[in-house]
Amino acid sequence: MDNKVAIVGFNMASALDLETTRERLSFDLTRGLFDDLGIERDDVGTFIICTNDFLDGRTISNVFLDPSVGAYMKDESKVEMDGLNALTYACMRILSGQYETALVATLALTGTQVSPYLHIGYTLDASYDRPIKLLNELSAAALEARSYLAKYGYSEELLDDIALQDLANAARNPNQARRLEGVSKDQIAGSAYLYEPLRELHCYPATDGGCMMLLASEKRAKELCDKPVWIKGIGRSTDNYYLGDRDLSGSISASQAAERAMGMAGIKDPRKELDFAEISSLFAHQEPLLAEAMGLLEPGKAAEAYKSGDTAIDGKLPINPSGGPLGGHPICSSGLMRAAEAVLQLRGEAGKNQVEKADVALAHGQDGVCAQQSVVVVLGT
Amino acid sequence: MEETKIVNGAWELSTFHFPIEGRGLKTMLKNMKDKKLVGFKCPQCGMVYMPGPFYCRKCFIRIDDEAEVSDHGEIMTFTIGYADVRGNPLDEPRIAPVVKLDGCDSWIMGVLEGVKPEDVHVGMRVKVKWAEERTGSLQDMQYFLPE
Repeated sequence: MDNKVAIVGFNMASALDLETTRERLSFDLTRGLFDDLGIERDDVGTFIICTNDFLDGRTISNVFLDPSVGAYMKDESKVEMDGLNALTYACMRILSGQYETALVATLALTGTQVSPYLHIGYTLDASYDRPIKLLNELSAAALEARSYLAKYGYSEELLDDIALQDLANAARNPNQARRLEGVSKDQIAGSAYLYEPLRELHCYPATDGGCMMLLASEKRAKELCDKPVWIKGIGRSTDNYYLGDRDLSGSISASQAAERAMGMAGIKDPRKELDFAEISSLFAHQEPLLAEAMGLLEPGKAAEAYKSGDTAIDGKLPINPSGGPLGGHPICSSGLMRAAEAVLQLRGEAGKNQVEKADVALAHGQDGVCAQQSVVVVLGT
Repeated sequence: MEETKIVNGAWELSTFHFPIEGRGLKTMLKNMKDKKLVGFKCPQCGMVYMPGPFYCRKCFIRIDDEAEVSDHGEIMTFTIGYADVRGNPLDEPRIAPVVKLDGCDSWIMGVLEGVKPEDVHVGMRVKVKWAEERTGSLQDMQYFLPE
C-alpha cells in the first residue's frame, strides 16, 4: 500500500462470562483505550461497529451501541462479519484520505446469552440444510475435520496434539477466556465427543468478549504511539455457501485471501518471511488446514510439525502463540483479537508467550460454516 | 412462481438471556413509589438524562449523580393514535405526547388525558397523574393531564 495505516492501540476483554451488558462492555473497553492513548472521542474520525444483530437481539443494533463506543454525532458504519473485515473497512476509510483515525469496535456476549454452537443453525439454508436437521456448526466442523484427517491419513491424535499446544499457550495468556492450567493430552483425549472426531477440548468455548482497536494514518499514528504496527497487506476471499460445493479437506478462501494479502505486502515465501501467525481456527483441525492453505505449513506434514514443535512458540513458525480461538472465541471479535495478539508480539509485549523474533506476522479471520470466508492481514513493525 | 418455494418456520429465540442496562430504570421506578422522578446528571456538561444511562453520551464519562426532575413539563411533540402499536384499532383516539419535564434534558413519552384532541398543542403545559396505589412500576405514572 502506498499510504500507510497503523494499529496504534487496542483494548480487549474475554471470559466465559463477563457479567456485563453490551453497553457497559463497549463503554468500558473504549473508555479504557481512550485513557491509554490520552485521547477523547473527538480525536476519532470514523467508527466501525462490528457485532451480530441476531446475537444482539435487535436489528441494526449499532444504533444503540453508537453512543457507548463514543460515536454520538460522529461518522459511524457497521460490519456484521468477523472483526478483521471491520479492520479492512476502517483501513479503507483512512486510505480514502477522509479520516486520520478510525475506531474498530467489536463485541459479542456469546458465552452467556445463546446456546453454544446452536445459533449458527440460523445461518443455514432454509430449503434443504435446515429441514434435514443434521447440520449445525459442530456437525459441519466434524465433517470438515474427518475430511482433512482422511486426506493425509492422519489419526485423531493429531487433534489432541494441536489442542494441547493451543490450550497450553492459552493457559499462559491473561487475555484468554479458557485457561486450563496444566492441561494434558490425556485430558483432551478424554474429553467427550461432541460430533466425532471432534471432542469438547478440540472446539472453541462459548465466550463473551470484545476488542476495541484504533487505526491511524502514518502521520497521526506516530503522534499517538511509540510503536505503531503497520498494516502491510489485506486479502479476502469467499467460498461457496454449500458444503456440497466445497472440498472440505482444504480452504480455497484462506489460500486466496493469504495470496492477496501477501502479494500486497510483498511476501513471496511465507514460511521464511513470516515470524508467526495468529489463525482463527475455531476447531483444532482448522489450524493446520488453514495454515497449509495459506502456505505456512507443508501440506501433509502437519503431524510431524506439531510433534516436533515447529508450530510451538519456540518453533520454526509459531502458530497461535496466543492460544488462538480454542482459548476464546467471542463472535465478531475473534479475528480482530488475532490481530491484537499479533500487535502484542510485534511490540515485544506478549509476556510468557513472546516469540523470539517478531517483525512480520499474519492474522487470519473467518466467517460462515467451515470458514466459508477468510480475511488475512499482514502486520509488521 | 414455479421457481419459488415457500418455507414456513419460526425463529426460536427462547435460549436467549439478554442482560440490559438496569440502573437508570431501577432508580426511576424505585423513586416513583414516592411520586418522585429521578434521573442522572453529567457533572461535566450538566445534561440530565431520565431514565439515566451510566455514562454521558456527549462527554463519554461515567456518571453516578442522581438528579430529581419535576413532574410538570411541556409538550414538545405529540401524535393522536387510532390504532395500537401492533395496528389494532382503538375504541377512542389516544393522545400520545412527548414531554420535556422541568429540570430534565431527556424527553419522555406518555398518554395525555383530560383534553380533547383538537385542543392539544406543542408548548402546552402538562403534569403527571400519579396512581393512587404505587408499586414501583411504569404504571405508577398513569398519564399526563393539562397543568
